[in-house]
Amino acid sequence: MIKVENLWVELNGNLILEDISLEIKKGEIVAIVGPNGGGKTTLIRTILGFIKPTKGRVLIDGKEPKDYIKSGKVGYLPQKSSYERDFPVSALDVVMFGLVEVKISKKEKEKKALEVLRYVGMESFKDKPFGKLSGGQQQRVMIARAIISEPELLILDEPSTGVDVVAQESFYEFIKKLNQEKGITVLMITHDIGAVGSFVHKVVGLNKKLHYFGDFKDFLQKSNVDKLYGSEVKLLIHSPECFTCQYFNVEVKRH
Amino acid sequence: MSLSDFFTIPFLVNALVGGVLIAILLSVLSLFVFVKKWSFINIGISHAAFGGLAIGFFLGVNPTITGSLFAILVGVLIGYISKKGQVHEDISIGILLSFSMALGVVVMSFSNNYNSDLFAFLFGNILTITQQDIIMILVFSVISLGFLLYNLERIMYCCFDEELAYISKVNTKFFYYSLITLIAIATVLSIKLVGSVLSSAMIILPAAVSSQLFWKYKSIILASIFISVVVVFTGIVVSFQYNLPSGSTIVIIYSLIFFIVILVKRLFIR
Ligand SMILES: Nc1ncnc2c1ncn2[C@@H]1O[C@H](COP(=O)(O)OP(=O)(O)OP(=O)(O)O)[C@@H](O)[C@H]1O
Ligand SMILES: [Mg+2]
Repeated sequence: MIKVENLWVELNGNLILEDISLEIKKGEIVAIVGPNGGGKTTLIRTILGFIKPTKGRVLIDGKEPKDYIKSGKVGYLPQKSSYERDFPVSALDVVMFGLVEVKISKKEKEKKALEVLRYVGMESFKDKPFGKLSGGQQQRVMIARAIISEPELLILDEPSTGVDVVAQESFYEFIKKLNQEKGITVLMITHDIGAVGSFVHKVVGLNKKLHYFGDFKDFLQKSNVDKLYGSEVKLLIHSPECFTCQYFNVEVKRH
Repeated sequence: MSLSDFFTIPFLVNALVGGVLIAILLSVLSLFVFVKKWSFINIGISHAAFGGLAIGFFLGVNPTITGSLFAILVGVLIGYISKKGQVHEDISIGILLSFSMALGVVVMSFSNNYNSDLFAFLFGNILTITQQDIIMILVFSVISLGFLLYNLERIMYCCFDEELAYISKVNTKFFYYSLITLIAIATVLSIKLVGSVLSSAMIILPAAVSSQLFWKYKSIILASIFISVVVVFTGIVVSFQYNLPSGSTIVIIYSLIFFIVILVKRLFIR
């Protein structure tokens, strides 16, 4: 589905990504992890065609990124902390934006929008000004907007930022379900390696170079993690006895 | 003189019809200038338009055409520069607008009617609007309003987040430059109404006032249209009655409304 071949990216003369090659197959859930400034956002923005690589190339479904995007099959959640407070749209408007080029009636668009807003637990905020929502609430609405067009490829830049544990949990459940039922490919950046470990198929460990690309189990070998972050790292994998999970009454299916 | 008498004076009727048409168009464009925080692009465009008008006037070509061409050129240039972000946009706009303005004044100084022409371009005179002008404004307004309203969601999506709109298959480049082009032409038309010095006010004030009253973009558009039409109508009637310059009267009334709205909001709504 996504083929990254010998990719080098420089921004303002600084080398950000060095010789990255990887292949993501259709129907896989892939997590990109790595330290801050490791080039994760740069990698997905290059995959989306927003950044031109200095060397190498990206192919999605055998096509150039911009040609694949024209098929309208991509859902994207950017890494963005906040939006203009006074931008004059409601939460529902924002979600409906995702369907603006889809040729169905306004009624149907609204029905779909309400459905995805329900998934992210934001249905009751549909008529609230988007700019006045909290950071986490905005993030949930943005997630709803990214999935409303039923994409084949979902690219998420830190979807759990600012989102509380309960919402995170149900969001990950939802990603799993989308992946299992519709076979969508998911590429997501996360710092929460523990929480996504149980359901991702592959992990990309990125810090300028590709430090690791393979399945989660092998990634957990301490040497891999320490090498990626450049220091001793303690990983927290939630177990069924996890206090936070119990406290918030989150159903734990891992382990 | 009563209000009904106004409608028996042909040039006043022309002024009212032309003024109201321009006001409606500027109100809708105002929303996009507001959400994109584009007031600086608009100021650049209005100064460029002035240079273009002067040159057309001097060469004996229809000034609206040369003014529009100049304004579109500068608008697109500013848009391109701010997109690429190589030079700081304030600097390039500053240079472009002083250049066009200076060029306009120099060209104007060759004209026999230097003072009155200059004054009309700087401050506008809606009472000189001709039937032909009105037809031109009408055709342009109908086409652009149709385009803007048909693509309202798409353009709002671009203003909200251009990259996301692009991912959702919206032709973002096309809408970006279309919007700049429409703003440029509308600015040239509004110079007839309020002159180039005040034309940016007419595209900034509508959304600035109505966004104080409403938060949904569709309501902002409707409120802007309503307020602008009332203000322009009142401005023309009052300026004629008391023999005041029409453009300045309109902008003064509009600015007063803005301050009153802000004040009332501060005092009564917390
Ligand atoms: N436009 C730019 N020009 C120059 N350098 C940039 C630019 N954008 C990002 N960088 C640099 O590229 C490096 C990687 O940034 P990137 O945003 O891809 O990191 P990241 O892995 O997503 O980090 P985080 O976890 O903090 O989101 C950083 O050192 C950053 O300073
Ligand atoms: Mg990042």
